[in-house]
Amino acid sequence: MTIAFDVMGSDHGPEEIIRGAAQLTLDTPHIHALFVGDRSLIDHALRSIRHNAERVVVHHAAQFVAMHEKPAAALDEKRDASVLVAAQLVAAGEAEALVSAGNTGAGVLACARTFKLIPGVKRAALATVYPTQSPHGEKDDPFSLILDVGATVDASADDLVAFAIMGAAYSRIISRNLNPSVALLSNGTEAQKGPPRVVEANARLQHVTGLRFIGNVEGVDIPKGTADVVVCDGFVGNVCLKMLEGVHETVMALAKYAYKEKLLWRAGLAMLSGGFERIKEVTDWEQYGGAPILGFDRIFIKAHGKSKSRAIMNAGKVAAKAVANDLARSIQEGLKAS
Amino acid sequence: MSLVDRIDPVPPSRIYRWDLDKTYLQTDFDSLRQLVRTALQKATEKKAVPGAAALIRELKARGDSRLCIVSGSPTQMRAVLSEKLKLDGVEFDELVLKDNVSNLLRGRFKALRGQVGYKLPVLLESRARAPAASTEVLFGDDAEADAFIYSLYADMVARRVNEPVVHRVLEASEVYPDDITRIMRQWEKIPQADAVQRIFINLDRLTPPAFFSKYGPRVVPIFNYFQAALVLMADKHLTATQVAKISVEMIQTAGYNLLTLSNSFQDLMRRGLPMAEVAHALTEALSGPQALFNSVRPVPDILAAFTKRIAALGATPAPPEARDVDYLSLIDDARPRDKKAKKR
Repeated sequence: MTIAFDVMGSDHGPEEIIRGAAQLTLDTPHIHALFVGDRSLIDHALRSIRHNAERVVVHHAAQFVAMHEKPAAALDEKRDASVLVAAQLVAAGEAEALVSAGNTGAGVLACARTFKLIPGVKRAALATVYPTQSPHGEKDDPFSLILDVGATVDASADDLVAFAIMGAAYSRIISRNLNPSVALLSNGTEAQKGPPRVVEANARLQHVTGLRFIGNVEGVDIPKGTADVVVCDGFVGNVCLKMLEGVHETVMALAKYAYKEKLLWRAGLAMLSGGFERIKEVTDWEQYGGAPILGFDRIFIKAHGKSKSRAIMNAGKVAAKAVANDLARSIQEGLKAS
Repeated sequence: MSLVDRIDPVPPSRIYRWDLDKTYLQTDFDSLRQLVRTALQKATEKKAVPGAAALIRELKARGDSRLCIVSGSPTQMRAVLSEKLKLDGVEFDELVLKDNVSNLLRGRFKALRGQVGYKLPVLLESRARAPAASTEVLFGDDAEADAFIYSLYADMVARRVNEPVVHRVLEASEVYPDDITRIMRQWEKIPQADAVQRIFINLDRLTPPAFFSKYGPRVVPIFNYFQAALVLMADKHLTATQVAKISVEMIQTAGYNLLTLSNSFQDLMRRGLPMAEVAHALTEALSGPQALFNSVRPVPDILAAFTKRIAALGATPAPPEARDVDYLSLIDDARPRDKKAKKR
């Protein structure tokens, strides 16, 4: 199985991407890495990184989309952008999945322009994992899956139903959660609460066979981990995600303030540091590697822009797992049943 | 070999020198248990590195070459190693093994693990017996000090290093004084020749290739023997058909496939090795009435796979530049593996 890695455009540069993927070629004999990007940078990095050259192939792409660029305009202008070339190679069958830590919009757009939507899916969804209070699935996963967090801003009831089925399929395969609980994010747990599209989706999801739909959940239920899969439209999902990130940053800032302010508080924080470290380990997003774009016939894992080699390696593993378990077919079957 | 060749052998114009463990044989002796198991293995239980036997057979097929093996395995293993080579259809001309019992009895404990003091004099002695015009290709691995020793040997034969430097290198490598004297005497006897054309280092430990760049482009780290065959084809030691035979054996016996072989080919191209002509010659050979590859996979698929790998790279990179090797600065590479690990 070959995984294409867009090595350009991430915060830490090509070397971290190459290092992570190179480790995959050493640890997992069935995975080959296809590096797409500036060939001279890739060659330079590969020369000093331990890898298995029998499982590495390089495809030169002279351009890339930077983080600050507007995706559509950049892809129109840069026909040889690494993410677009990588997506084209996946579509052509040169690789089975794509991993990128570059510009998210460009990644989604490159896939939209190159891959096909799974029959029954009208719009793709960007999913992400979030650390929760309750464990999930066979692996006692501390994360729940939220989708969509930005790909489809104005999702219809049809889209929300498709997202629920796609999220459940992903959770079954990646988290080994055979019967994941799926919920709709709304402003109340009652089925009638929320905008018309959410109410309609709620009504329809209750009749989808093979899906453990538990109804609506509120924002407070996301960190609690009430549901394994939380479904919302891209606008709400993105606002939620940013707010959760903001809360995290504020808590960290407050802790830093407390640490500086009083000796007693400092002592208290020091005593709790072991616990903090444990929480950090358990909720370490790098073990997940990246967020999947669901709905296309090919797999795309969007790794965080700040991803280091470990996160990239895990993103590659997640992509390989999704391919090996035929995620697209699983989603398609779920949609047929709905 | 024909009867005429046996009665009046052609003087060898090419010498291929091989190490055994981790170069020809897949050997694990990183722990005491593995060491004991390796020592007790029968010939039929020993496994050659994929493609190694096929490569040697093809290199020997021309009839004007010698195969000289220098191994750090103890002399007590001669019978089992000879049998293994025979089983693989490998005919050798020299097989030198390490007399560690003698080292032990003489209290030369540094010599038990030391590589420079053992291999260098053996190589020089063998060179002294070879025709002055003969060229050499050496095969080692990344587990011990092969790149260092082979490069030093090549530069000594070519007189690219001077006596004081060699002396200091040998002292720093903890070679016993009598071995230093032996090395210097042998060296004097050898006529100057730029004999060593290539040094292949089998990346058993998957050491990054850049680690060996300090030894210059003569040293070629390889991930498999298909890569060695391609480079040797570029160097006119093998024909396209012979390379095809080696790859077919690797496919049929070791699980290699079109993907791994074409990736290996591209890896050499990326490192600036002259593969364009090789690709052309292989294409021509495969397009002709050569049924060898057809037994494995249709020829158009093979051509497409290799063509894609070339096209994917864009411009051809510049070949690596030749450079003088500063052996004194690389002395750590000459130390036994356990000491190197401690230092790192």
